[in-house]
Amino acid sequence: MTTQIVENVLREAKEHNAKEVSDVHLVIGELTFLGLEQVRFSYKVITEGTMMENSKLFIEMKDGVVKCGSCGYEGSFNYEDDPMYHVPIPTLLCPKCSGTVDIIGGRECLIKSIKLVVDNGR
Amino acid sequence: MKKVVEAAEGEVFDIELEADILEANRKLAEKNSELLRKYDVRAIDVMGATGSGKTSLIEKMVQTLIGKYRIAAFKGDLTTTIDAERIERHGAEAVPITTGKECHLDANLVGKALERINLNEIDLLFIENVGNLICPAEFPLGSDWRIVVVSVTEGPYMVIKHPFIFMDADVVVINKMDLADAMEVDVKKLEEDVKRVNPKAAVAVTNCRSGDGVKKVIDALRL
Repeated sequence: MTTQIVENVLREAKEHNAKEVSDVHLVIGELTFLGLEQVRFSYKVITEGTMMENSKLFIEMKDGVVKCGSCGYEGSFNYEDDPMYHVPIPTLLCPKCSGTVDIIGGRECLIKSIKLVVDNGR
Repeated sequence: MKKVVEAAEGEVFDIELEADILEANRKLAEKNSELLRKYDVRAIDVMGATGSGKTSLIEKMVQTLIGKYRIAAFKGDLTTTIDAERIERHGAEAVPITTGKECHLDANLVGKALERINLNEIDLLFIENVGNLICPAEFPLGSDWRIVVVSVTEGPYMVIKHPFIFMDADVVVINKMDLADAMEVDVKKLEEDVKRVNPKAAVAVTNCRSGDGVKKVIDALRL
């Protein structure tokens, strides 16, 4: 996934005749399976020796969004806290009415924006 | 869509890219889905850990359904074609998709496999994913249903350890019920965990070796 992110940014940078990429802004949804630590680590490794080598990586997390079929609730989804397991368990039960909800957001893996330093030969 | 927002003195460009890496797969999945609908083929994506019983489930379902439907199966694996042969024995056409090193199938691979079969000649397509409870959830393939198979030999906590893949399931199969006592796994508790994470999923408790409970899976899909 990180490779694809880097490839996309490099392609864009080339199109603009950039000599360096200074910033990359990502938006990652809560419901994707991307670990931030891994993304940061692999980003560092993959960008080595490219014009992204010294770029700053900004990652914005986006909450999962659900919509309830019964009461129309729209918002973040519920986590059930079970002291037995030490971790909150996500649930598709509506936090308002206990109906069932559908996932409508939180699956993003978005390259939101990038900042390029362009050598325009002037 | 991209738009150059700012070019400070021709030196620094701020570019709004809005490029979603996962969106590419989702679009291909939508294409697969359209193609399948055009030929009136229904597709079932079967996910689950290695050794959970995905192939056994498909074998038993094919055995039961082969008189009623013309069936094909895509069998995702890293390298071997062993499982594809298991499914072919029951009269379904099986196409192995070997991913090499990838831990999941994606819509692109499935799209390529769809080109290899004659969609006019089938009604039902099983797509067996690579054994993994994490990555496949990220990559929809364009199927009508997603089944997640979990077996009691994986221990009592598989559902709450991997909640997100269960959120995408239409049917959850709790397999190897005959071994529950030996494994000291409470099947009822596993069922409750599924219902907690995804109250909409149908749950079937099975023994895919003997075939016990497989009818419940078939009923849940209304096949």
